[in-house]
Amino acid sequence: MREDRKVTDLRVELRAWLAENVPKDWRTQQAGDNIEGFLASQREWLSRLVKGGYATPHWAPEWPGGGRSLAEQVAIFEEIARADAPRMSLFFVSLYHAAMTLMECGTPEQRARHLPAILKGEIWCQGFSEPNAGSDLASLRTRAERKGDRYIVSGQKIWSTLGQFADQCLLLVRTDNSGPKQVGITFLLMDMKSKGVQARPIKQITGDEEFAEIFLDEVEIPVENRVGEENEGWKVAQVTLSSERGLTLVELTERLALSLWRLVEAATANGHEIDRLDVEVRRRVVDIASRIEALRAMIATLMANRMAGREAVGDASIIKLAYARLSRDFTALGLRLRGMAAQRDTRYVLGAGYETGNWMFDFMNSYQYNIAGGSNEIQRNIVSERVLMMPREKLA
Amino acid sequence: MSGVDAMNTIDQEELRDAARRLLTDKVDRRAPWGEGEADGRALVRDMVELGWHLLTAPEELGGLGQSFTALAPIYEEMGRALAPATLADTMAALDVISLDDSVAGAALRDRLIEGSAHIVVAECGSLGPRIDTTFPLLEGGLAATHLLLLPTAAEESCGIVDLGREGVTATPVETWDRSRSFAELALHDAPCERLQVTGGVAIPLVRAHKDLAMAWDSLGAARRSLDETVTYMGTRQQFGRPIGSFQALKHRAADHKVTLELARALAVHASQAYALRDGAWSDLAAQARLLATDAFHAITEDSVQMHGGIGFTWEFDCHLFLKRALMSDILNGAPELVRDRISSSVIARALRRE
Ligand SMILES: Cc1cc2nc3c(=O)[nH]c(=O)nc-3n(C[C@H](O)[C@H](O)[C@H](O)COP(=O)(O)OP(=O)(O)OC[C@H]3O[C@@H](n4cnc5c(N)ncnc54)[C@H](O)[C@@H]3O)c2cc1C
Repeated sequence: MREDRKVTDLRVELRAWLAENVPKDWRTQQAGDNIEGFLASQREWLSRLVKGGYATPHWAPEWPGGGRSLAEQVAIFEEIARADAPRMSLFFVSLYHAAMTLMECGTPEQRARHLPAILKGEIWCQGFSEPNAGSDLASLRTRAERKGDRYIVSGQKIWSTLGQFADQCLLLVRTDNSGPKQVGITFLLMDMKSKGVQARPIKQITGDEEFAEIFLDEVEIPVENRVGEENEGWKVAQVTLSSERGLTLVELTERLALSLWRLVEAATANGHEIDRLDVEVRRRVVDIASRIEALRAMIATLMANRMAGREAVGDASIIKLAYARLSRDFTALGLRLRGMAAQRDTRYVLGAGYETGNWMFDFMNSYQYNIAGGSNEIQRNIVSERVLMMPREKLA
Repeated sequence: MSGVDAMNTIDQEELRDAARRLLTDKVDRRAPWGEGEADGRALVRDMVELGWHLLTAPEELGGLGQSFTALAPIYEEMGRALAPATLADTMAALDVISLDDSVAGAALRDRLIEGSAHIVVAECGSLGPRIDTTFPLLEGGLAATHLLLLPTAAEESCGIVDLGREGVTATPVETWDRSRSFAELALHDAPCERLQVTGGVAIPLVRAHKDLAMAWDSLGAARRSLDETVTYMGTRQQFGRPIGSFQALKHRAADHKVTLELARALAVHASQAYALRDGAWSDLAAQARLLATDAFHAITEDSVQMHGGIGFTWEFDCHLFLKRALMSDILNGAPELVRDRISSSVIARALRRE
């Protein structure tokens, strides 16, 4: 496929910018760094990207850095991945989920209040899941009662990525219990410094404390912080959940492809020469490499279809499943190849995604893509029922 | 998800429709499993009549000048129909003799374009003016008029054997996969004419073309097998509901769908790369073949299980697909050997961080 001139020009310009601006030694510096160091380097990286005009290509044209086509957005993610720049983990929810929700469903006042703040580094988290509402998100029970011009909110949110560092939260609450569960949900913007909010980090299987549970005890939220109508928050939540439009997978797939060498490195780390590698190992590397190449082709097609407005139902689920399974198999192979050395290598690079090169960390972390954002099983339900049109199961 | 094809003037979907119409009309996939046997000679004539062999022939020679990607939907439809004939050897041979300036090459090219030559391809050791050897199992060996021999010694030039001349016997061979037609080809002192193009040039082209053809054939057949299995699961009732509503079965079907779409995405990409002889086209073709035959194998293997007892019968069609898949797996080299063939260059590309 030949590329638009504009996109090619953007790549050239961005490559030059990245060569100047990617912190050279970020991996070494962040290896074993503490959380403060990580937060500081993320902030620094965001401010560079904003200054360069590459943090917000998906924003509306009236915003700095905004108004880029989807093709340009894809190019930006690819180039950032290819330059092996740090990921934007700390600000991803702000720049995508929060900003897109506000741009599509928010009031002008909400946009004016938050979008400039996001550009300056306001951190957002997503408070959707609850202890008893995960895959079945619409069964959420955090209560909000309307009292004059405020909502009084009580309940508990969980698995909220970076919740302990967040300034603001995209919050789903229940305002009505009388009808079907999707009706009666309301979407609020919550200041994490409000009285009655307590965020407690949860330690993950990687050892990281990357997500948090959020306890809400009679928290007062002004009605002007509501997005969309009362009881119609489910629709808004769908906008939030689809806000990144596949770009995460573009980036992750590209990063995965460009870290294939790590598998070879893992295989040769014990002094094996490449051309003396065990034949079975070589075959498995070929299999992983082939699936990566296929996934790259698949995501390129998905994005092209998206741009042309002819995406089919379930395409996104198929890709997510393909990626999730590959991320697990890729890291499992690396872990196996690295052997005992992987068991002893307990240092890792914060914020590098799963291709840190620390195989145990990366393997553990790969579960994330198999669970969050609609687990593999939920995606399989979608593919079987909505793509293959198999008989539906009635769920409560 | 379908691929975009900007390289050709003939619409891919039109080609697909035409292929599907012909194959629906002419192929009775049950025929070889009753009294008859897969022969394929009639289907080869039909394909030639429709001019499929002209698609990628150069325009100045009376061909249609399309790129490889025009053949993809045809190969895919042939797999879908479980077609008993092969077109890939002839078309791969055309890719080779298009590069050839010898008298023998030009003559064969003319006959091919006129529709009177159908080719099988085989790799071999060194070649002399006369050939004495037996190829125990060649797909399409009965329908073929010529054998294109590709010497594995890179510098040696390729050879052509006219199968209509003396010293050639083709005997049908029965295999478990009856959806294809195989022959033993015995050559006794058979005359061999030499081309200019060398084995070193020809072998990568032929392998890539045949790998891609196999990939598309497998994708077409695998999709059909999955579709038919899903349809069956929607109608068969147990415990008061269709078995297709059981999540244990649904999730397997979904996984097969993912594997299939992943393989398809690579086949589209690899076909474009081959058409342009771009980048790592030769690795990509092999990789596309691996993913596609793996998916085909997995789907058809599970299809029998998901059908239960009826899947275990000769009457029911599950095994037609399974047996074709088991043959596709190894027909042009076992998957392990294909992996071994490309592993050095795949690893080198990984280290270059491409
Ligand atoms: C790393 C990470 C980050 C996250 N970040 C956030 C965040 O920022 N904000 C937020 O709100 N949430 C977040 N989540 C939560 C995430 O969305 C949920 O974990 C996910 O939706 C699954 O819900 P659950 O954990 O309650 O599991 P459950 O829904 O209890 O699922 C348990 C198991 O049952 C299976 N299952 C459930 N329903 C079905 C069904 N119908 N058919 C078949 N199998 C089924 C699941 O697939 C899973 O295997 C995050 C999760 C992770 C792991």
